[in-house]
Amino acid sequence: MTPTTIPQPTATQALPAADDAVVSIRHLSKSFDGRTVLDDIHLTVRRRKIVAIIGQSGGGKTTLMRCVNLLERPDAGTIDVAGERTCADGKITCRDLARLRQSVGMVFQRFNLFPHLTAVENVMLAQVRAGTPEKEALARAVALLRRVGLAHRGLAFPDQMSGGEQQRVAIARALALKPTVLLFDEPTSSLDPESTGEVLRVMRELAEDGMTMILVTHEVSFARDVADWVVFIDGGKIVEEGLPADVLGRPVQQRTRAFLAAYGGPRGEDGG
Amino acid sequence: MTPIASGPFQVPWSDYVPALWQALLKTVEYTVVSFAGAAVLGLIVALLRLSRLRAVRIVAAVYTELFKNVPLLAIIFVTYFGLASEGIVLSVFQAGCLSLIVFYAAYLSEIFRAAISGVHAGQQEAAEALGLGKIATFAHVIFPQALRLALAGTNTMAVDLLKSTSLLVTISAAELMSEGRLITSATFRALEVYLVIAAIYFALCYPLSQALLWLERRIRAGVPLSPRRHRRLAAARRLLAEDGATA
Repeated sequence: MTPTTIPQPTATQALPAADDAVVSIRHLSKSFDGRTVLDDIHLTVRRRKIVAIIGQSGGGKTTLMRCVNLLERPDAGTIDVAGERTCADGKITCRDLARLRQSVGMVFQRFNLFPHLTAVENVMLAQVRAGTPEKEALARAVALLRRVGLAHRGLAFPDQMSGGEQQRVAIARALALKPTVLLFDEPTSSLDPESTGEVLRVMRELAEDGMTMILVTHEVSFARDVADWVVFIDGGKIVEEGLPADVLGRPVQQRTRAFLAAYGGPRGEDGG
Repeated sequence: MTPIASGPFQVPWSDYVPALWQALLKTVEYTVVSFAGAAVLGLIVALLRLSRLRAVRIVAAVYTELFKNVPLLAIIFVTYFGLASEGIVLSVFQAGCLSLIVFYAAYLSEIFRAAISGVHAGQQEAAEALGLGKIATFAHVIFPQALRLALAGTNTMAVDLLKSTSLLVTISAAELMSEGRLITSATFRALEVYLVIAAIYFALCYPLSQALLWLERRIRAGVPLSPRRHRRLAAARRLLAEDGATA
């Protein structure tokens, strides 16, 4: 958990390339209908590290994350995932999109469980499609449901579950293909406080198990607790990044301070 | 064929049972073949209407609007008498099924298109994010959900199609209505004969619509229909029960 570099929280600072980088983003840009959503983004996520991306809604954080598994195609820049260049200068260079997405799990804000399937089938589907034998896929699905504390809900359909339960099943589903990195897109934004607690507990356990994660969140205190690196994005640019204690506790940039004042506020020595 | 007795039933029905049975089977045959064909063509047209290519969408839309706004009887006459006059001679069965297929495919494509668009966009994304390919995403995520949305409308169309086979009397298709006409011309008991024919249609359609409603409820309740899914859920139940015992 100790950083190897002293963070210099400047506007578009990039972490130095490292051999253990799972995701490496360089000069990434993306616009929709002429509106720039991401502007020259650099980001490195190393093995077993958790990067939290914070910022206003519409600031580009979700788009950035969706570029990692190519649900969005960037206009410019490069992305490397697990050593393979997945896209360069607006072109997808990833040879096997299915394999990329199997190695990058994703958890959505609105869960997006398959409503026609039971919890256990939701966790099994991608495994079976990827060629895992039925029996093995089932055993893994049950083990994963147990891991998120929902073995007793295995045969429930999504509409029979609470939001927190659905999101935990969605996490189990994302883990089913043994991804090398997990993406969380505001996983607790549509949950009540109790459900939020359940989901954050599961995510904390994943963090303790050494899962590599990229987390888009409004949960500033959760980011402070589990993240190894915090990136504040505004207007499609990285405004400030660094250790949670620095970015969330002693933000340098005015915009970061304004954001934190609205979403929980810095609680460092000089906080408030 | 002289009346044997007075009273409401004067047609010697026992003589007609074999012929009526054959006619009933013919009606069922027309219904099954035409509905299967219409469902497949309707699904294809629906998918074309959801294509990314504008030209493809337009072709599919023209097809739908054309056959939705022309009477079925006109389609039957064009395929049987019209094409024959141009040297394309179809058998009665071919012409009958073709007419029903192209007509009902237009309606079904509208139902299917609405159902497919009705599946939440997040479902497609979730499937893609799990590495499912286009075909697997459609087959395992979009289609089963669209099916639930389409069931009610599709069931109505199935019953409607069965009733519409009676229009094939105009090309003497040997189905129930044609048989009714034959019996009438032999017995001159039009009211009695057509009431019986109507009752047979009712006896076919009512159980069909009830069965389809039952199926709809089962599918909505998530009951496994395929043996494979049944086995999968049974295995899951066993494994999860063990888990409950040890937990």
